[in-house]
Amino acid sequence: MTPLARLLVLPCLLVATPALADGNVTCASGPQTGWKPIASLKKQVWLEGWTLQKAQIEGDCYEVYAQNEAGQAVEAFFHPVTLQKLLVLRRGQEVFRAKGFKG
Amino acid sequence: MAAKLSPRRRLVLWLLLALPAALMLQGYVSGTALALDLERPSGEMAARLIVLALLPGPLIEVFGLTAFLRGWLNARRNLGVAAFLYSLLHLAFYYGDVGSLRAMLGEIGLSGIWTGWLALALLIPPAATSFDRALRRLGMTWKRLQKLVYPAALFTLAHWLLLDFAWHEAALTAAPLVIAYGLRAYRRWTLYRRQTA
Repeated sequence: MTPLARLLVLPCLLVATPALADGNVTCASGPQTGWKPIASLKKQVWLEGWTLQKAQIEGDCYEVYAQNEAGQAVEAFFHPVTLQKLLVLRRGQEVFRAKGFKG
Repeated sequence: MAAKLSPRRRLVLWLLLALPAALMLQGYVSGTALALDLERPSGEMAARLIVLALLPGPLIEVFGLTAFLRGWLNARRNLGVAAFLYSLLHLAFYYGDVGSLRAMLGEIGLSGIWTGWLALALLIPPAATSFDRALRRLGMTWKRLQKLVYPAALFTLAHWLLLDFAWHEAALTAAPLVIAYGLRAYRRWTLYRRQTA
């Protein structure tokens, strides 16, 4: 390997180091035709005692931005078929993960 | 003293720099975008502008002072000030999202948040001394103050990586800097070897 090539490898390695955060969340939810409507998340969020700010599709998950009962901003991922709460982040920090969820 | 852009070029540059902010504000005012939606693009713009302001240094050392790089160098103070202004816009959208000072202070202890505050704080001295008179009066201190942009860039990157569950865009934004500094380190190393050989 030439010195220049060696040099160019370094930034690539740096760039390729995964961040502390979770990488892309995946829900293994299958085709969208089998998903529950995104509007049904409203009830889930209400059940949590949260105030919904925004719900959207993120990859193959439903993603929710909300404020929890304590008024804290949370970002949560729900399974589009089961509507199970899978992951909750508070400003990038994981505060909840469903049992067995690895996505 | 560092050369400057002609007034005409500076006007064009600032119109370009203001365009994304105008679009974001228009989205916010018209209600098509929530403050929540605009936190990210405004922060990204700030980060990109920091990278653009830092790049000419290492690139000039590697490739020499070409006409293109000279022009870029002349524009860098504008880019830095714009980065600071986008950071403030980012802060404003953040405030709009959480809704109160209390809520903001409530999450200041989270690593994804305090890194952002620190990056913003580090940008204040260089931004506040970015005008000609400060440059003339401060002399060498001016250069030292401007160097606060380096740690600001690092904390910006940390802020981004900690908040984002996907790290690719942050890495892509930082990549040109990493490559430019890598090239500069390689050049310095070969020069050093030649001198000591």
